[in-house]
Amino acid sequence: MVKRILAIVFILIIGFWMAKALDQVPFGQDRMLVGKYYLEHVKEETGAVNAVTAVVVNYRGFDTLGEVTVLFIASTGVAALLWRKKRKRTAKTEGSVVLTTGARLLLPFIMLFGVYIFIHGHLTPGGGFPGGATIATAFLFLYLAFTVYEVDHKIFEPLEGLAGVGYVTVGLIGLAIGGYFLFDWIWQTWGIGKENIGRLLSAGFIPIIYTLIGIKVGTELTGIVDNMIKEPEEGGQ
Amino acid sequence: MSQYASLLIALPLFGAFFIPILKRISKSAVMPFLVLVTLIQTGIAAWVFNEVYITGKPIIIMAGGFRPPIGINLYIGHFAALFVLVIAVTSLLMTIFSFKAVSVEPKDKYAMLFLLLMLGATGMISTGDIFNLFVFMEITAISAYALTAYNKTGEASEAALKYIVLGGIGSSFFLVGVALIYGSLGTLNMAHIAQLAHLVNPTVAKAGLALLIFGLAVEAEQFPLNAWAPDAYQEAPHPVTAMFSAFVVKASLYAMGRVIYILSAVEGWSSILRLLIILGTLTVIIGEMSALRQNNVKRMFAYSSIAQVGLIAVGLALGTESGVSASVFHMFNHAIVKALMFLAVGYVAVELGGTEINKFEGLGKRMPVSAFAITVGAISIIGIPLFNVFWSKVQLILAALNAQYTWMVALILGASLVEATYYIRLIHTIWFKGEGEKVKESSVLALVMLLLVALIIVIGIYPEPFWNVMQKAGSDIFNVAQYIKNVPLMGVSP
Repeated sequence: MVKRILAIVFILIIGFWMAKALDQVPFGQDRMLVGKYYLEHVKEETGAVNAVTAVVVNYRGFDTLGEVTVLFIASTGVAALLWRKKRKRTAKTEGSVVLTTGARLLLPFIMLFGVYIFIHGHLTPGGGFPGGATIATAFLFLYLAFTVYEVDHKIFEPLEGLAGVGYVTVGLIGLAIGGYFLFDWIWQTWGIGKENIGRLLSAGFIPIIYTLIGIKVGTELTGIVDNMIKEPEEGGQ
Repeated sequence: MSQYASLLIALPLFGAFFIPILKRISKSAVMPFLVLVTLIQTGIAAWVFNEVYITGKPIIIMAGGFRPPIGINLYIGHFAALFVLVIAVTSLLMTIFSFKAVSVEPKDKYAMLFLLLMLGATGMISTGDIFNLFVFMEITAISAYALTAYNKTGEASEAALKYIVLGGIGSSFFLVGVALIYGSLGTLNMAHIAQLAHLVNPTVAKAGLALLIFGLAVEAEQFPLNAWAPDAYQEAPHPVTAMFSAFVVKASLYAMGRVIYILSAVEGWSSILRLLIILGTLTVIIGEMSALRQNNVKRMFAYSSIAQVGLIAVGLALGTESGVSASVFHMFNHAIVKALMFLAVGYVAVELGGTEINKFEGLGKRMPVSAFAITVGAISIIGIPLFNVFWSKVQLILAALNAQYTWMVALILGASLVEATYYIRLIHTIWFKGEGEKVKESSVLALVMLLLVALIIVIGIYPEPFWNVMQKAGSDIFNVAQYIKNVPLMGVSP
């Protein structure tokens, strides 16, 4: 009881202190130093209509590469910690017919929508991360509805690596062509799609990178689900 | 040409992403591939080091070709060039050790996490953007969590869980701090923040800085937030422990120093320094006191490492150029010594099956080279003349005197005295107790150990050229005006 009261008092003090600091940050006023630049130059510099994706992939692409890596570490870490020689699904009860049929029917729609999200990253809200998560949801559906379903690891793991290698390679091509790592060579050097702003084939390498991120995130989240849902077999170490 | 230094980031990433593909082709190629990648990384780091120290100018890498503060820039100045090299060399040595020390499957996952730990620390040290610092800190931290639990024993899982909870809280503090600073300035670039620092409201700046420091303190093992460290050091695979102590902590300490000094124009800045001095002092005292009563040698070294890190933090918080330089020198020396000691202890544990102190009885007769390496490391850490740490401790004392912190001399000397107590006890156990069969030591590892021993003694005898390098690296952190001038900011102003 004393512990709880002390904790509450302590949290209130911290909260008060942070509120006092927040009070000094002007809210709703124009404090957009860098932000204004992004909004004014986003179209001619990146070709993207969606300013958020332009910031995430072009201006601050380095951070996105880092975030992709963080997710990669999470999936690798889970796989390393749950690794056993023989592991199998141990689900006992088969789902009802409504569930399995529903999952089967919905699967292509979810997949298609996930792909739609990451391909249209430069035009509509979303992008690689939500698109990839949507695709992983489709696989989660299969795992939950069927007792024996398992993804093919021979394809999934290399695909995940390949998408990551692809991202770094796109960056390295930028280094070779434009002189900077992660330089948008498709837009700034080749000028492909300059008259096409606002349509699907525009915005330089954003659609390419978002496709790679979508594949990567989709396979990674699926891999995490797959690792967590399996249990070591009796007798297997 | 200098943009090619971005390979420092691109190469380990490429290597880590390539491993799942390589595994399909040939499983036995994974560990040699790890050595190859770290070897190339060392080559690039050596080239960058050479470039920076010959021209005297930092390498500014602009990711995506956008000028800062619009894009993210990496700033490889004197400090970053030096420590990127330290990171790469330590990683290379530890990959060699990994062949022997890591027998738990799956090795391909170990190789990926190893590369990404190296990448995260490299990124933290070279980034010039405060949010990018957060991203790299997460990369470092999350691969560290996974590597801590890698041995899959109950203790390892517990250690990793402690680490992950504390680390998660620390990271969210850091993120709130970044949000506060962005909210009041509207920019994330460190040079730009430094340029506009006088405009920040002092309350916001103080709260933001305190949050950033508390966030980094988890990784930097400062007092109230370092409870994870001894457990994690003890339970992580041996090469990983050496990497934690040699550079993961150093990267966070550097980040602390950097964020503090870029905001040095802020009103009430000295109270933040005082906060860090208090944290550092407590870290030293508690680290040394806990090391004194350990029976597990690896855990003892872990506490000793924490205490040294406390000294480095105190030096960073003195607020003078000589203090920062002395800290950098201590970071460098400590990285060498602790890499050597954790390597030797880990090797003993691999051969004899444990790190309890009774396993070390008669080690001088059983494994003479490892015993010799531990002894040299221990003598060096105590701060005996003719060994490298002596010079950095002398510099720390001089800096403390210059900054009018006379009591800090007592702290540093007292810490050395306590260190002497437990290290001499260990040396005594190694050389003068017990008998044993001779164990055949691996010649490659013996060579690595002797190489590090030689480095320790060379720095101990000729500290001058190294101290010159450290002073340049220190002024890289301290001299903010020069830092701002070096970054080609484009004219976005309020």
